[in-house]
Amino acid sequence: MRKFLAVVKREYLKLVWAKTFIIGTLLAPLMSIGFMVVPALIFSIEGDAVRVGIVDQSGKLFTPISASLLTGKKREQQNSRDAMINSVNQSQQEQARKAAEQMGGKFLVEEVKTGDKSVEQIRRELDARLIDQSLDVYVVIPPNYQQDDFQLFARNTSDFIAQARIEDALNNAVREVRMAESNLSREKLQDINREINLTSKRVTETGVSADSGESFWLVFVVGLLIYLVLAIYGQTILGAVVEEKETRIAEILFSSARPFTLMMGKLVGVGLVALTQLGIWVVSAAILGVYGFAQLQRSGVDITFPHLSPVFVIGLFIFFILGFFTYATIYALIGSMVTTVQEGGQLAFPPILLLLMALYSAFPVIRSPNSDFSFWLSILPFVSPIVMPVRLAIQTPPLWQVLLSILLNLAAIFALVWIAARAYRVGMLMYGKKATIPEVLKWIRQS
Amino acid sequence: MNEQEITLRLENVTKRYGDFTAVDNLSFNVRAGRIFGFLGPNGAGKTSTIRMIVGITAPDTGEIELFGERGVSPSLQDRIGYLPEERGLYRKMRIVDQLRYFAALKNIPSKQADERMDFWLERVGLKDWKTKKASDLSKGMQQKIQFISAVLHDPNLIVLDEPFSGLDPVNVELLIEIVLELKAAGKTIIFSTHLMETAERLCDDIILINRSKMVLGGPLREVKSSFTRNLVAIRVVGGNGVLNDKDLVAKVIEHSDELEILLQENANPQILLKNLIESGATISKFELIEPSLNDIFIEKVGERNVNA
Repeated sequence: MRKFLAVVKREYLKLVWAKTFIIGTLLAPLMSIGFMVVPALIFSIEGDAVRVGIVDQSGKLFTPISASLLTGKKREQQNSRDAMINSVNQSQQEQARKAAEQMGGKFLVEEVKTGDKSVEQIRRELDARLIDQSLDVYVVIPPNYQQDDFQLFARNTSDFIAQARIEDALNNAVREVRMAESNLSREKLQDINREINLTSKRVTETGVSADSGESFWLVFVVGLLIYLVLAIYGQTILGAVVEEKETRIAEILFSSARPFTLMMGKLVGVGLVALTQLGIWVVSAAILGVYGFAQLQRSGVDITFPHLSPVFVIGLFIFFILGFFTYATIYALIGSMVTTVQEGGQLAFPPILLLLMALYSAFPVIRSPNSDFSFWLSILPFVSPIVMPVRLAIQTPPLWQVLLSILLNLAAIFALVWIAARAYRVGMLMYGKKATIPEVLKWIRQS
Repeated sequence: MNEQEITLRLENVTKRYGDFTAVDNLSFNVRAGRIFGFLGPNGAGKTSTIRMIVGITAPDTGEIELFGERGVSPSLQDRIGYLPEERGLYRKMRIVDQLRYFAALKNIPSKQADERMDFWLERVGLKDWKTKKASDLSKGMQQKIQFISAVLHDPNLIVLDEPFSGLDPVNVELLIEIVLELKAAGKTIIFSTHLMETAERLCDDIILINRSKMVLGGPLREVKSSFTRNLVAIRVVGGNGVLNDKDLVAKVIEHSDELEILLQENANPQILLKNLIESGATISKFELIEPSLNDIFIEKVGERNVNA
């Protein structure tokens, strides 16, 4: 036991005092804040106003178009938060449209009077203005706008965002004119066009609460966090094991303590480091979160702090540890098979793939946490350490399912540790070349 | 310490790796307070045997008895110091931390480890390197640190696998000196080497293994005298008649100031000495030439290799 603790202590102190830990611990929250804040910032950047020339040969559409382009933005802005939250589930096309709405920016609208000039003449003039950059876009509205094509000319036709806004404005204007022509009052028109408000509420045992997507982010962040920590610390284990093999320290270590003690000491030591880091993140996120949400609420934003049940926190803790031991054991096994970290990197691909599958399978689970699919994923070892906390965050599943998941994970971990400890004992003393899978199977059988 | 006390006993120990027999039915005793030379060519099974002695692996068949107990349990491991042939240190760890860690794995509290560490670092001349990282040390320095890690916990049995490889002559002398001090302090030392000159200087007992099997073993003196090949070096004036006795002498090899006499098989060198004295010759040197350990090594290992 004393030797085990000595190993744990060494691994823990070595990693916690390393620069990478300190930098990583500080940098990760900054980066995740960056991931959330930067897109929001980009969305809110108002680019230079787009100068639009409108050649209205119909004579009816300029006023509604310019109204739509100049005022349309306000309504869209209110929806931008919802748009961001939903964007993960949306198709690319839809996302682009939403982005266009949000990023539309300002327009400067200019009516180009046709007067007695021909359309060709005006187009030549406007083309010249496009080229000398005194105009960005112009639209030619045909006299018979109900049938003929509208035409848009621009220096840069790949600015799909501005074009989407203009197209919307044209559609709105035409729709408005059509309705006006059917003798509807403006009030009636607005009434017809008014969009509904959809508020989503979450039903839990404790009642109904408003929820506009915060919990989705929480759940996603939980999954991502577990994935990241498992992947990073798996690599750490791999590196530490390979170092002891490469430098032949294993030989000295094995003459002092049982390989099993050494391996488990290493796993527990690194695991504690991972928990320390996760703890720092969770606590600082909680403090920042509570403070940040309070600030947002004070400034009048309708937002509520996601509800964190104690069951979720305990579950997160348990499943994180289960996940850690599952993957750390695999990495230790790989470390004992290879001779350099580079070789280990190649062999580490399968567990990374497993982890990624687990992370991605969290998405369908978020959508329907109680489906059969979600159930099987949340009890399957390798995948459940990420999926089950996600389920717990959305809606507490029946207790028996959680217990079954824990039990199956424990069984998988025992099997993995049994295998890894045997391979470790032999592999750590094999120098010179990377072991093949049949060789490893032989080690396991022999020891 | 009682010289007849047995520290380590191997009985019919066999170790196989797959189809390859690394150690084949090996039996020997290591007596307490003595230096035991474990000799053999590369790949003979030395390291495989040593790994069993220090408890890294277990024999497939046969018994290992250490300090009177069967099998090498973890608590017995604490009484062994081991310097492996393939050895290393944590590159980015300070020397003091490494030695503390290795001591902790032998159940030595860090305070006690610190005291002994200071003594040993001073002894090998690396006192100023205590807080440096291993990667800052030269290979020879690292090897001395590894040696310290093998003796820091004051073990009763010290196993040194090729301890001198890679060391410069000054440090080889230093290490030999320390090994002799340890012996004087009553420690039992097993060391494996293929450097026969060093083995000859240090060892009380030896065992020679080749191709997984024991070739010969016993106290160095006995081993060497059993190899005396009836070769006598003499410096003599007169006595020519005796040297021409074909019943006694097979061959005379003349050197600058002495003769090397190869006796007939089964001839007794004492008869030659007696005959020389009786013939009235003046004898200033009469020496039975023992083969060096190197000669024995080459003879036994070479012979085996040819026969196989």
